[in-house]
Parts: sequence; structure tokens; C-alpha cells
Amino acid sequence: MKGDMLRPRISPLMLVLILVVGCLTVGPVLMLILGSFSRGIGAFGAFTVEKYIRVYTDPTLHKTLLNTVIFTAGSSLFATALALILAYLNVRTDIPLKGLFHLISIIPMMIPHIVFATSWALLLNPSNGILNLFLREVLGLKKSLFNIYTLGGMIMVEGLLDFPIAYLIIAPAMASFDAALEEAAWVSGGSKFRALQRITLPILRPAILASLALVVVRSLAAFAVPSVIGMPGRVYVLTTYIYRLISLGFMPDYGRAAAAGVSVLVTSTVLVYVYRRLTTRSERYVTISARGYKPAIIGLGRWRYPLSLLTSFLFLILIVIPVLVLLYVSLIPYVMPPSAKAFSMVTLKHWNYVLRDPLSLRALKNSVFLALVGASLGILLSTFVSYIIVREKTVGSALLENLAFFSYSFPGLVIGIGFMWFFVHTPLYATIWALLIGYIATYLPYGIRPLTSAFIQISEDLEEASKVAGAGFLYTFRRVVVPLATPGIVSGWILMASMFLRELSLSAVLSRPGTEVLAVQILRFADDSLWGQVSALGILMIALSTIMATLATLVGRKTAKARRTG
Amino acid sequence: MKRWLVIATGALLLISFGAFTQGDELLQKALQEGKVVFYANITAVEPIMEAFHDKYGVIAEYTRISTAKYLPTVLTEFGAGKLLADVLQAPVPILEILKKQGVLAPYTSPVAGAYPEWTMDPDGIIQIFGIEYVGIIYNKDVLSPDEVPTRYQDLADPKWYGKIVMPNPTSHATTISWLIGLKEKVFETEEEWWDFLRGLAANKPMFVKSFGPTPGPIETGERPIGISMPKYIITKSPAPLDWARLKQPLLGTPRGIALSSVASHPNAARLFIDYWLSEEAMKLLSTHVGEYVLRRGVYPPIEGIKDATVLPVRTLSEEELEYWAEKFSEIFGG
Repeated sequence: MKGDMLRPRISPLMLVLILVVGCLTVGPVLMLILGSFSRGIGAFGAFTVEKYIRVYTDPTLHKTLLNTVIFTAGSSLFATALALILAYLNVRTDIPLKGLFHLISIIPMMIPHIVFATSWALLLNPSNGILNLFLREVLGLKKSLFNIYTLGGMIMVEGLLDFPIAYLIIAPAMASFDAALEEAAWVSGGSKFRALQRITLPILRPAILASLALVVVRSLAAFAVPSVIGMPGRVYVLTTYIYRLISLGFMPDYGRAAAAGVSVLVTSTVLVYVYRRLTTRSERYVTISARGYKPAIIGLGRWRYPLSLLTSFLFLILIVIPVLVLLYVSLIPYVMPPSAKAFSMVTLKHWNYVLRDPLSLRALKNSVFLALVGASLGILLSTFVSYIIVREKTVGSALLENLAFFSYSFPGLVIGIGFMWFFVHTPLYATIWALLIGYIATYLPYGIRPLTSAFIQISEDLEEASKVAGAGFLYTFRRVVVPLATPGIVSGWILMASMFLRELSLSAVLSRPGTEVLAVQILRFADDSLWGQVSALGILMIALSTIMATLATLVGRKTAKARRTG
Repeated sequence: MKRWLVIATGALLLISFGAFTQGDELLQKALQEGKVVFYANITAVEPIMEAFHDKYGVIAEYTRISTAKYLPTVLTEFGAGKLLADVLQAPVPILEILKKQGVLAPYTSPVAGAYPEWTMDPDGIIQIFGIEYVGIIYNKDVLSPDEVPTRYQDLADPKWYGKIVMPNPTSHATTISWLIGLKEKVFETEEEWWDFLRGLAANKPMFVKSFGPTPGPIETGERPIGISMPKYIITKSPAPLDWARLKQPLLGTPRGIALSSVASHPNAARLFIDYWLSEEAMKLLSTHVGEYVLRRGVYPPIEGIKDATVLPVRTLSEEELEYWAEKFSEIFGG
């Protein structure tokens, strides 16, 4: 009897999902782990632990690890704090210019990271950064005020890049907030600030932790910022260390790189575990119950305008400046600081080149296909996975959650090779389907995280009521659960679609003639320092993502409205 | 005498007819195969692919694979019996590894005679056709030609403090090989070379991951001078880039081309290699991409480059690369 109680129940749906997610994510990681224990440079070879010994006894590693900890902790705290403030202001207050929030929350995610980092280097490098030159002129300084090539600069740029991930997880949680709890606090005499501190933030804990976890894992695996901003300042983190392992020598040992990557995998597994421990008693976070809910809008009073000024400033540095830099670079024959000479040389040649280049056009078509179809399939899978993770608190759900993070946790520089080692043994190799499956497998957490925090907030009573009324599982899922989780579904879809549109790590290894994608095309131009073409394609990428995200938001709103009125 | 002349003319006619029918046969077979797949990591070679297609009606598909992923990709595909490439082009150290692994097949192109003798592999497998030449590149809007170095040693002058960009010598294999090349082929004594390295390090050069990003900071003036490649003067035109006319030779890693031993389109592959090595293709490569090619009489349209001595560097072993990466870390504070 006692044994029965302890034995975890695993439902058939859970079993199916574990199999599906396992097939998607374990293969490539397993290949990499095999490679890390094999002699030679392939996935299969005689057993050895030499690669681990060499990596983890390297005397330079401890400094790199310290930098990595500061970099990831800094950027995840910065991104999450910024997301909390902005999501609160947008969802819960009467701040003006709310349309800006929508743009702020998605556009930075659509800018290829290498382009975003390069824009910031153009703006804030100590020699002739545009903003530095401007400030020197205005303030009459002899030396530049800012140096982007520092750990602080890296944290700022990575934080800004990862901020949309945090926002898209936290904002839906804010939107599904039952204001009755706060009102209760106000009625009992607490100040609004105290209510925020005692009620709002604790209830948002799953979303905040989800955001921190996702951004930590993302920045651990980031390469663009460490290479464009860190390397010139000689600030090395784990990914630049891994890059060194694979670029030193013509016979790059990805097994050794994988051995270094395993520490990231372990960190992220621990993070997922800690996250689960901290949110186990999920009923504490339920805010959508049968009682009806509507988040109340708080009047900002005299803070209304100063705060909207702050948002506009963020909008300026997050979107306007980088996009203007892109536009400027796409219109001048070569990159130079803005001047009369530069403006006299304005040309459309980069745009003409890109819009007539058959490879770029094919890449555009393939990327749009992958974004639309991939994100839709990905979100379908994520919805079931998140639901089961939240509702079934068994060993199975812990396993499922960890499996979902598997490929995502490996640094991008290495995971592509894992997928290649895996796919080459299947008929899918060198087809667009390999890219589609690889994308979904790697970025599953983008769908699962926002949906998990959405499901945690939905009371099980609602589903029970539906079941009592005679509805089956699928009917309840479709009519009750999915409509309530719509904000999470839309967020997840946008995150996945815009990620797929600019995906590089896997594509750089798996894309072949006929299956070119946008990011690889951008990388080709970037490798040749053709920044004009890079910028023109980058702007096209941002425009496409914006259209997709706007459509998704509109569809989401319409669906939610139809459900409410129907 | 007359008889000899008739016989010689006849023989010549026969040989050229033979060559013609041989070439014609190769073309016919290539046309039947329909396409050729080409793996390389080389800038903007699409014009060559198109010109090949226009000339012969055979499609040339180009897959660009970065140097760090080149060997893993080719060896993984080869190991799984799925190598898609018919023709492989890469820096010679990479092709040498592929040769050892049996990925490459012998093929001596009939046009190979137009290249110096040292470019031909004794086993008839790898044909070297160019050198990825490295030079000192500067922004001519910021610096005047008389300010720039005339010897590598000049880069160690403290006047270049904070003004240089270069690929990271603690991790970038090609840069490490280039620095060792300077020691072995340019500097008279090893002490002189060490002094140069220490002086260069003291000038705190800005490190980027490879040669690709080096022209960026030079072009914007962020770092007005750098260890980069003269080919960017062409690919980045009209950016104000020029190369310092050194009194010493320019060095670089040799580039080669070879046939795959498991080519699905072997005849189209041979036709492609012949075309690649032809004067027409080499002119396209040097004119559009600024590559330094070894076909006699073909030069990139960069002023003064004809007079430069360009030498290949040797292939460093993995152990040597690791050893020097560590040494350079100590000197440059990596």
C-alpha cells in the first residue's frame, strides 16, 4: 500500500510526450556526449576521459568561469528586472504610449545578435564610437565616457538582447493576475508599494524564476556578444573559450568542446531542478479561478509622465538607435561615422544587391516557411508538454522538463555539430525537415516556459468542473485550458517564430544549397565584412518578424474575444 | 624535311583532336551528370559558378562551410557514406588531412601546367591555386602612405599604441601560422622576431576572432591600421583601404582544390576543376574577390601587388599550434 503511494503515476500522454521530446532532443546531445568520451574527432571512437581532464584542469579556465558567472548573472538580472518594470507599467498601469511596449518587447529579439552587438560597438567604442564622439563634443571631454569592450558593456548588450524573452514570460503572467488579491491588500490599509512587494511579486515568482532560468541558459550559450564585444576587450567567457578550442588547429575537436559544454548542461539541469523545487506548491500561484478575474489598472498619478519618459528612453536605445544604425549602414557604400561626406554618398546598392540575389531570396522564403510551420508545430507540442509538466507532479514531469531543456542547454557553437552527427544517419540529412525538427527540438523551452507559467496560474477547479459536466480530456483542453492560456500561447509562438527566423547555430551546419536560411546568408555577408548587405537583410528580417508577431497578437486577441463573447 | 613537317603537323593535329574529343567526351558525360557540388569557404565565388553554368550548361552548387566546421562536416558525411561534395576547396592543411583520410582522389588537370611546379602535389591529388595573403592594411582617410610601415618591425613602434586591429593570435590557427611564417621566412634572427612580437603586444592591438572582421574597425577608423588581407581593398571598395608596401615578402596559407574520391558527379567535377584553374576563372577570382592566385600572369587589380613577393607558409602540426597559442597568450596577455 505504502509502495503504491510512493510510486509515481505516469499517464499514457506523459509517456508519449517523454518519447517524442526525448527523440527530438536526446539524440544530438547523446552524440556530443559520446564524442566527448571518444578518441579522435568524431562521435564514435575508443573510450577516453582525457578530453574532460584537459578542459577542466586548464589553468585559464577558472578566470573564464568567473567572467561567465558575472556575465550570465548580470545579464539575466538586468533583463528580468527591466522586463518586470516594463511589464508592470504596461499591463497594470495607465501609462501612456502603450503601443511602444509591444514593439520594445519583440523587436530586439528579431535583430540578429551579431548585428545588434556590432551596432553597439559602432556607438560606444572608446576610439570613435558615435555616441562617445557626440558626448565628447557636447561635454568638452578629452577621453571617451564609455567603453563597450568591458564586462559591463557585455552585460548591457546581452541583457538588452535577452530582455524580450523575459518580457514575453512575465507580461502574460501579469495579464493573468487576479487583482482581487491586491485590492484586498489595499482595502486592509497597505500601501500600493507594499502590495506590490508582498502580493504581486511573490505571485509572479514562477514567471520571474522562469525568466531568470531561460536568460541564464541563453546567455551561457551566447556567442555573438562575447565575440564581438568581449574578445576586443580580452574578456573571455565559456563560449569564447569553446570557440578557442575549435578554432585552434585545423582539426577542431568538437568532443573537447562538448566536454566544456557539459558544464553548461549540468548548470541548466540544476537550474531546472531548483526552479521546480521553488514552484512545487503551484496552487499558491493560482490566480485564475472560477471567480472571474480582471487585472485592475493602477493610476500612476504624477509619476505618469516621468515614467513614460523612461519608457521612451528605453525605446530609443533598444530600438530606434540600433535600427537607425542598421538603416544608415545599409544606405552608405562603406561604414564610416556619420558626416556630410557620408550623407553625400547615400546609395541603394546594398538593397539592390540583396533584393536581386537569388540566394538571399531563397533564404527569405525558407526562413519564413520554417518560422510559420516550425513555430506552429512547436507551440502545439509545447502546449501539451507544459500542461502535463504543471498538472502531473511526478518524476515523469521532472524528466520531461529536463528533456525539453536538453539541446537548448548546449552552447550553439557545439549543438549544431551534434545535430549533424545525428541527422547524417537519417534520410533527413541536408533537407529542410532536418532544420525544422532541429529548430523545434532546440528551442522547445521558448514555447514551454511562457506556457508553463500560464498554466500554473490556471486553477484546476475549472477543468474539474468541465469534466464533471461530462466533457472529455481533449474537449476540456480545447474549450477551457487553451483559451485561458492564450496570452502564453501567443508569447510562445512569437518567441519561437522570431527565433526560427534568425536561427544560426544549427543552420550554419545543416543548411545546404536549396535549404539556405536568412541567418546563414547574413553570416556569409558578415564573414566578408559586407555590413551594407548584412544591414539590409537584417532590416528585412526585423520587418518580417514584426509582421508575424503583430498578426499573432491580433489572432490571439480575436480568439480570446470570440471565446469570451461565445 | 618536308616529310618531317607533314608528320609533325599530322601528329599535332591528332593530339589536339584527341584532346578535343577527350574534352568533348568529358563535357558530354558532365552534361549527363547535370551538376557538380562544390564545398569551400571562399568569398563571393558565385560569379564563377554562374560563368561555369553559362559556358557548359552544368549546374555548379556551392556550399560555403566555415573553416572551423569544414573538417567535421566533410569527415562526418564521408564516414556516413553521404559526402555530398564532388569538388573540395580549402586551405592546404585541411586538404592534407582529408587526403590522409582517403577523402580525395588523384586528378591532374590538363591546365595545371600554367601553375608553378611547387603548386602540384607529388601524388597528383591537391592542386594549389592561390595564397590567402596577409598584409598590413590601413585607412587612407586617416593615415597617409608615408606614415605607414615599410617593414613588419614598424608595427612595434609605440606610435601605433591603441591603433591596431588583428585576429586573435592566441586562438586563430591561420594567424599563428602566419606569425611563425614571419619567424621562418622574413626575420633575420629569432631575437628580432621576439622583439617585434613584444612591441606589437605592447601596442595593445584589438583582437577579433578571425581575418573576416579585421577590415571593419579599419574602415570605420576605430583602429586605422591592422593585420588583415589586401583582398578587402577589392571586396570592400569604395572603402578607403590601402595596403602598406612592405620591403619584405607577404605571407599566407596556400589554398588548394581537389576531387572527391566518392564524387557522385565525377566528370562534372573534373570539368569544374579544369574550369576553376582556367585563366578565365582565375581572372574572375582575382578581379571580383581580390584573391592572390598562382596562375602565371594573373594578378588582383590592386596597385603595386604585381611587384610584391608572396610566399606560402608551412603547415603547422596540432602540437605546434597549441604550443605557440600558449606562448602568444603569455606575450599578448590573451
